Parts: sequence; C-alpha cells; structure tokens
Amino acid sequence: MGNYLSVPILALAVALQSGVIPQFRILGGSPDLVFLVVLAWSVHAPLEAGVTWAIVGGIMQDLLSAAPTGMSAIGIVLVVFLVSRLTEQLYSVGLLLLAGMVAVGTLIQQGVLFVLLWLMGTPVDLISDFTYVILPTMVYNLLFIWPVYWFIRRIQRRYTQDRRFFT
Amino acid sequence: MRRWYSNRLVFLLVSLFFCIGLMLVSQAGVLAPIESLVATPLNVVAGLFTDVALSVSGGINDLATLQRLRERNADLEETLAQFQSEIVELREIASDYQRLAELLDYTTAVTNQDFVTADVIGSDTSAQRRTIIINRGARDGITEGMPVVTGQGLAGRIINVSANAARVLLITDRQSYVSGRLQSTRVEGTVQGQLSGNLRMSLISLGQTITVGDLVVTSGLGGNFPPNLTLGIVTSVYQREAELYQEADITSLINFDTLEFVLVMTSFQPVDFSIFQSETEN
Repeated sequence: MGNYLSVPILALAVALQSGVIPQFRILGGSPDLVFLVVLAWSVHAPLEAGVTWAIVGGIMQDLLSAAPTGMSAIGIVLVVFLVSRLTEQLYSVGLLLLAGMVAVGTLIQQGVLFVLLWLMGTPVDLISDFTYVILPTMVYNLLFIWPVYWFIRRIQRRYTQDRRFFT
Repeated sequence: MRRWYSNRLVFLLVSLFFCIGLMLVSQAGVLAPIESLVATPLNVVAGLFTDVALSVSGGINDLATLQRLRERNADLEETLAQFQSEIVELREIASDYQRLAELLDYTTAVTNQDFVTADVIGSDTSAQRRTIIINRGARDGITEGMPVVTGQGLAGRIINVSANAARVLLITDRQSYVSGRLQSTRVEGTVQGQLSGNLRMSLISLGQTITVGDLVVTSGLGGNFPPNLTLGIVTSVYQREAELYQEADITSLINFDTLEFVLVMTSFQPVDFSIFQSETEN
C-alpha cells in the first residue's frame, strides 16, 4: 500500500514545488518538498519502500525540471540508505535527530547535484551554490520538515503495514 | 548478519546504477517522448496550483501596496505634467527618425515579428536551474530556439517542446549565454545568468567605458536572438588587474518569480551555424 501511495503524494509535492513555492520565494531559497516527503516517509518505513519513494520522487521532480530524469533521485536514494541505517539502530527518532537528518541530508542531496552538474559541464561555483542554493534550501527544509513529517506520519499510521524485506 | 549487509550493498548499488543509467539515457534525449507524455498531467496539476498561488499572492500584494500606490499616484500626477512637454518634443524626434528610416530602407529584425501569448504554468523544481513551463507547444507552432519576451525585455528561449507545453530556459539560468551590447556606447559582451538571479556581462574589452545605469540589449551576434531586446540595466562594474576583460553585473527588468504571461516570437528562427562548422571540419 505504501508504495502505491507514493505516486499521488509525490505528484502533489512536485506540483506544489513547481506551482506554488516559486510564488512565495523569500531570499532566493525554497524548500525541497520531494526530498522532505521521501525523508519523512523513510524514517518509519522499510528500506525498500524508502528507496521506491526516492526513485519515484526523484523522477517526478526531474520531469518538471530541465535536469535529466533520474538526476535528483541519486542523492535522495543515498540519503534514504543513510536514514535507514541510522533508524534501525535506534528505538525512536527525536526531533533533534530528525533536524540533523534534514540538515545532513540536504547537504548530501545538494552536494550530489552540484557534482553531477559539474560533471555534465554546467559552470558551477561552490561559494555561489552554497550561498544561493544549499544554505537557503537547508534553512527552508528545517522549517518545512515539521508539517511534512506530521502529514506523512498520519498517512503512514492509517494506511501502511509494511514489513521489512531485509530481516 | 554478513549476508544482510551484503544484500543491502547490492540493493544500494542496483538502485544507484538504475538512477545513473536513467539519467544518461535521458541526457541523450532517448526518453524525450515518454518524459513529455508523463509530464503532461503533472504540468496540468502544477498549472492549477500556479493559478491559485498567483491569486493568493496577488491579493496579498494588492493589500500591501494600496497605501504606497496612493502616495505614488500623487507623485506621478505631478511628474506627468512635466513629461507632457517632453512628449511633444520626442514625438517630433520620432517623426524625424521615421522619415530617415524609410529613406534608408532600414528595418530591424525585431519589427514584423509574430508572437504567441502563453501562460506560465510552472517553474523548475530544481533550485539549481532557472526554467519555466508555458502552456503553448508544438500545436501552437512553437519550436526549440524561439526567443521568449515580456514587455520588459528578453525572458529566455525555448529548449523543450511537447504537444501542448514548452520549457523556457530563462536568461538567469547559468547555462544561458546571450550576446549583448550597451545601448549607449555599443560596447559588446556575453551575458550569462547567475544563481543569484542577476546577469553578468563578461568579455568586455578593457578600454571600453561602462557606466552604472546603462541599458543592455541583445546584439544579435550568433543569430540566436534578434537585436535590440532589453536584457537589463548595469548595476556594477568589475575591472580587475591582470584580467584581459572587464565584467558588469546586470539586473533584468523582469521579475522572474512572478511571471504570469510571456510572448514567444514565433517568426524568429535562430541561425543554424552547423553547416559552417562541418565545412570547417572537412
């Protein structure tokens, strides 16, 4: 059930990201809604479900972007693996840990995108990227993770009974 | 336990290889028809959200600016009276210019252009890129390379086209390069987009004078854009020692975050230089 839910929920996140967020952009930054939804889902989901959400979300995000399809998914898949590795060793996930995951995850996701853009010949500048993209995105992600996490947890509790594949 | 880690590592590698493979195939353009098809419903939903968001943000802005507009209105009425006399003089100059232009049979490439009006239905989901999606596509005669403008000047050019939508690479994207010139001094350079949302004009010869406030327009060099489309205004100039060229920061007159409508210049076709390149190679 959880995997099927990924399509409408992530489509909604992508549509909001493309249609609504740019209208209310402050200081050049914006939250990465797809990344936040996938991260919030994977905190309490088995690894294979988190990866499915990451790939579906990354592909949808790139369909409404000039980036080649699959580019955004690479960083999110890596983050999901790290989140899964971390949460399996803990009894519960606290607010501070969640904020830490968002901060580090944003760095990884944006860092991977930076490297991929550089490899594809896009003129990139680390200072400029950090100032205008990575730092504002991280701040917005830290603010937006709370409503996103609350929304995703409600859906998870109501609709999913996933089992872990790697037991 | 060891087998458990091994399985996970394989799963991670398979997932990453899948994404990288997909990215490479997409970059090669093989998936373009499928991407266009799948993106269509997403574009429709994003377009609906854009309409709602524009209404809300417009309402908020209207309230906030009402008071400011009242004060501005009083100022502008006073200024208008002063400009009335200047308009009469300028009309005389325009009339002279028109006659001289007819005598020289001089027409610029910008005149006699056909336009298609399009609504902006979405923006790029990646913070690294500056593109928008418009609700006109191949069915409306849109093709890749067509310039996109607004009343304030050049906005970008078409880079992808589907049946009923198209993607516009904005001039503020880092991969956007436009040949520009300063309107007053005819100094030429290359205008590139910046992540900050501004533009930077580079490759300007050291001996040339650039003044803050100068208007920058397209030069038409390269054949990708018609000449004399407004790009922006010079806000600062950089002239460093040991550099062969100087640079200037330019601010576009367009607010790209709140773009609602754009015009696609459908009658302008970019010049194809590929034939000259192949002849040179041979």
